[in-house]
Amino acid sequence: MDTKDLINKYRSGRLSAEEEELLDRYVENGTVSLEELEDLKSIKANFEALPTPEPSQNLSDNFYANLEAAKQKEQQSQTIRNWFAQLWAAQPALRWAYSVGLITLGVGLGYLLRPGGEDNRKLENLSAEVSEMKEMMMLTLLDKESPSDRLKAVNLTSELPDASVKVTEALLKTLNHDENVNVRLATLEALYPYASHPQVREGLIKAIAMQESPLVQMALAEMMVALQEKRSVENLEKVLKNKNTPPEVRERIEKSIEVLI
Amino acid sequence: MDSISDNALMLKVRDGDLDKLGLLFERYRKILFGFFYNMSHDTGLSEDLVQNVFMRILKYRAGFKGDGEFKVWMFHIARNVGHDHYRKTKGKETDEIDNWKDKLGDDNMNREVEMEKGEDLDLLRLALKRLDEEKREILTLSKLEGMKYKNIGDILNCSEGAVKVKVFRALQALKQEYMHLQARV
Repeated sequence: MDTKDLINKYRSGRLSAEEEELLDRYVENGTVSLEELEDLKSIKANFEALPTPEPSQNLSDNFYANLEAAKQKEQQSQTIRNWFAQLWAAQPALRWAYSVGLITLGVGLGYLLRPGGEDNRKLENLSAEVSEMKEMMMLTLLDKESPSDRLKAVNLTSELPDASVKVTEALLKTLNHDENVNVRLATLEALYPYASHPQVREGLIKAIAMQESPLVQMALAEMMVALQEKRSVENLEKVLKNKNTPPEVRERIEKSIEVLI
Repeated sequence: MDSISDNALMLKVRDGDLDKLGLLFERYRKILFGFFYNMSHDTGLSEDLVQNVFMRILKYRAGFKGDGEFKVWMFHIARNVGHDHYRKTKGKETDEIDNWKDKLGDDNMNREVEMEKGEDLDLLRLALKRLDEEKREILTLSKLEGMKYKNIGDILNCSEGAVKVKVFRALQALKQEYMHLQARV
């Protein structure tokens, strides 16, 4: 449809919905200018002629008062900033003090936050707990009926960094009273690292007289030589006096006594 | 009304020369007042809102980048100020409109219309009042001095063509309201 026809139809108010849309599009892309739609021209002119009152003097007065207030606020913060800036420029010592302060702060923080302090303590606590647990396990295992469990228990002591009195006492008790020879031999071996403790040494010397197994007796005699323990001679002689002691053991013990004396 | 110079002034305001806002105020106080007045027909309220716009310009001056027209930026703020005001007084406003609509039907209103008999402009003002806010806003904006369709598109975030269609539709609605009122007289 021709633009003119469309406009004419619009003027007479007979536009279909489709044609209205077309007119909208024409207005949108500028094919039809609003001025061409004459019926709107007068309403537009009237509307534009609607008088608008002037704003009162109050508006200006209030505005300038507000502006002045804002300016003063601005200046105040500016003054404070300037004051700092001047202080900075005028006092080189302040700059130095600031730098030194920062360095001190850095070093201090570094010292406070250094790794290890807390962690090491935690680690120590943890390993202490672990060895405590091992100790407990060992003590429980020693009371078991199965010799292999008891052997396991004795071997566990080698993993303990430092055996407590409780552990050495338990080991000495095992050495004297365990019915299994293998367990007793293992216990003897386990006790060797702790032989420097006076209590352990004492216990070992006393154990000589209490042992009946020739194997253990011989091992003890050898250990006494290794430890250079002269106090053991008396107990070793007791073993010699015992009639049940086999000749091989006697020979061995005699040699040991010779070395010790 | 040189826009480049508007922007230059606003940039100075942004950088701390607050006195320059006075010049912008002188340039735009009437236009902004006209905008609010045509929307609300309330002189006191319109003055307050103009005041708010300039205080907001001051507050958010750091947000002015100078890449668009100052006028467009200012009208974005003005529309926000207007919306904020109407949101705050929404309950009250609807009451007034309801009352006013009631009046249309009763004798009071008829008498008011009677009084305006023959005074086309007053009738037109009444018709304008009855338009919805969007139409009233687009007509008001198009009426403002120095305001081009392109500017209005920037303010309303739409194309120049879309603005034309909106103005066209709003004018049609205004005419209809006007004729309707005239028929009642």
